[in-house]
This record gives sequence, C-alpha cells and structure tokens, in this order.
Amino acid sequence: MSFLELYLLLLKGTATAFAGLASLPVIQDALVTHRHVLTAEQLNEAVVITRSTPGPVGLWVVSAGYFAAGVSGAIAGWLAMITPALLVIPTVHFAGRRMKHPRVRAILETVVIASAGLLLAAAIPLGREALTDPVTIAIGVAGLVLLLTTKIEVAWIILGAAIVAMGADTVGLLYYLT
Amino acid sequence: MAVETDDPVREGLVARPSLFRLADIFVRYGNITLGGGSATVAVLRREILDRRKWIGEDEFTVCFATARLTPGTNLLAFCTGVGWITRGLPGAVVALLAGSIPCAAMVVLATALFSIWQHVGWAQAAIHGAVAAAVAVTVKTCWTIAHPYVRPGTRLRVAVIAGAAFLLNVLIGLSPVEVLLLAAGVGIFIPTVRA
Repeated sequence: MSFLELYLLLLKGTATAFAGLASLPVIQDALVTHRHVLTAEQLNEAVVITRSTPGPVGLWVVSAGYFAAGVSGAIAGWLAMITPALLVIPTVHFAGRRMKHPRVRAILETVVIASAGLLLAAAIPLGREALTDPVTIAIGVAGLVLLLTTKIEVAWIILGAAIVAMGADTVGLLYYLT
Repeated sequence: MAVETDDPVREGLVARPSLFRLADIFVRYGNITLGGGSATVAVLRREILDRRKWIGEDEFTVCFATARLTPGTNLLAFCTGVGWITRGLPGAVVALLAGSIPCAAMVVLATALFSIWQHVGWAQAAIHGAVAAAVAVTVKTCWTIAHPYVRPGTRLRVAVIAGAAFLLNVLIGLSPVEVLLLAAGVGIFIPTVRA
C-alpha cells in the first residue's frame, strides 16, 4: 500500500468523525477487513497505547499507521490526524468577526456549556476503567480535591498519582495487577 | 498593553506572541496532559488566556466552540484556531505542528516499545495511577470550561444546558456532535444575555 493510499484511507476516518475513537469503525473496515494491512489485535493495541500516553485520543491513528507501515505509516497517520484541524480556520474567521453579535455569542456559548456537560459524561467510562480499587479511587478523589483547592500544576498531580500507584503496586495494594 | 487594531476580534488585547513563543507554549502544554483533549484545552486556557492574555474570553469561546464542531481531533482544531487568531496562517500552522508532533512522536515510540512495556508491572501501575488522576482532571475541566459563563442571572441557564447535554448523551444516547448541534440550535432561540 502506498503512502498516499494509506493517508487517504486514514483521512477518510478522521475527516468524518467528531471524536477521538469515532473514526475507528471506518479505519477498521478499510485497513483490517478489506486491505489486511492491520490485524484486529493491533488495532486494539493502538487504542490502548494512545490511552496510556499523553495527548489526544485521536493519536490512535498514528499508532495504527505505525503498525501498518512503520515510520512512514505513522507519518501518514499524523498527517491524517492534523489535516481536518485546518477546517477550523474559515469557521473561526467567520464566527470570530461576528462574536460581538449577541446571537452568534449565544450560539457559541451554548455549545461550549454543552461541551462541559458532555465532558462530565465522558468522565463516567473513564472512571469505570481507571478507578478499579481503593488505591485508584483514593488517587482520583485526592486529585480532584487538590485540583479544586490548590493551584498545583496538573502535570505534577498526574506525576504524583503515577508515583503513588507504583508504590502501591510495589507493596501489593493495586488489585488489578494480581 | 492593549493593541490598537481595526480587527474587532483582537480589540483591547495584549500584544500578539511571536511564532517562537506560540510554538513554545503549545509544545509545553499542548502535548503533555493525560485525560483527553478537553483537559489539555483547560491547561492551555490558563496559559494563553489567564496568564499571558494572548486571547480574550470571546476568542476562547470562538476557538473552543468551533473546534468542537470540527471533524477530527478537537484539540488540534482548537490549537489551529488559537494560532490563526493570534498570528494568522503561520500561527495556525505553527500551533498545529507544535501541538501534534511531540505527542505523535511519543506515540510512535510507545507503539514501537509496546511489546516490551506491556509486560512491565511498574510501568502499568504508573499508567493506571496517572489515568485515575486523569479522571479528576476531566471532572475539574468541566468547571474550568463552564465557569466563565456563570454570571449573575445565568447560573440556572448554564446548569440547565450542561445538565441537558449530560443527560442527552448518557441517558438518551445522542452522540456528542448531535448534542452540540442541538445546543447550537438552542443558542439561536434562547434570549441573549448582556456580556
């Protein structure tokens, strides 16, 4: 499969999806079912890897590209991931110049506020997956308290959580590993 | 220092950042956060709006709302929008590259090493702990995003819109983009509030 062909197949998934993993069915159909350049297991691994590394979930196409064709495949995946972002330019330009209009402002603010509600909804499956034992529940609660009551950087809280979990694992307190 | 400009979007804001500064901030803060794109947006908001005042509240709203309605990865659309507003096309390209190359490189490395580190217990424990903290980051981000719109007389409106979006997604099963398009439709008709 050529670089351009892989890019276009991945782009077909990313440009028609509005959330990180929403592109998965399209890309699965193209690369796993029809082209056989990727296995279903590799596809799952690509998702697991990007959920375990910093950055947006949409990065999974980079991992999938790497599994399909090495570094050039990863570059094709990266290009497929960033290309749709350029579509925001005309809409930002258009809406930005009309932001003083009360109706445009009301529409955009309603979308942002709805996004906050959706984010809370997204925390539910993330919580089910991550808060699996007393230690991780304690980490989640302590993290939220620190975020709400202090100005500690998010990166430090995540690093601290990782260190606490490693310590708990060392003394056998993380149940999910056993 | 306010900038004199005929651009209504840039009116009253501090000086635009150089492309280098723009790249620096998006590399440092656009690539590191666990917990999804919105958590990263919350961190970026603090850096580019609260601390450096490169964009204003209105511009954040424009970038965030339009990015949420753009196909693909919303975070990258947000970065591109901020880059466009602050430095035009070069800024959009720089922000997009700075917000995507480092984390993509990390994913390539993690993919290459996956067969090794998936069996390393301490690494898995560290990731599990970090993701648990990411749940807290996600919950806090809801407030970070919504609170600028909580003004006298709008508290109930914010609670109803956010609550309805949550319920439509969780209970009714509407997809996020369906909920957001519905929200945009509601925004056309609800009474406007003075800023």
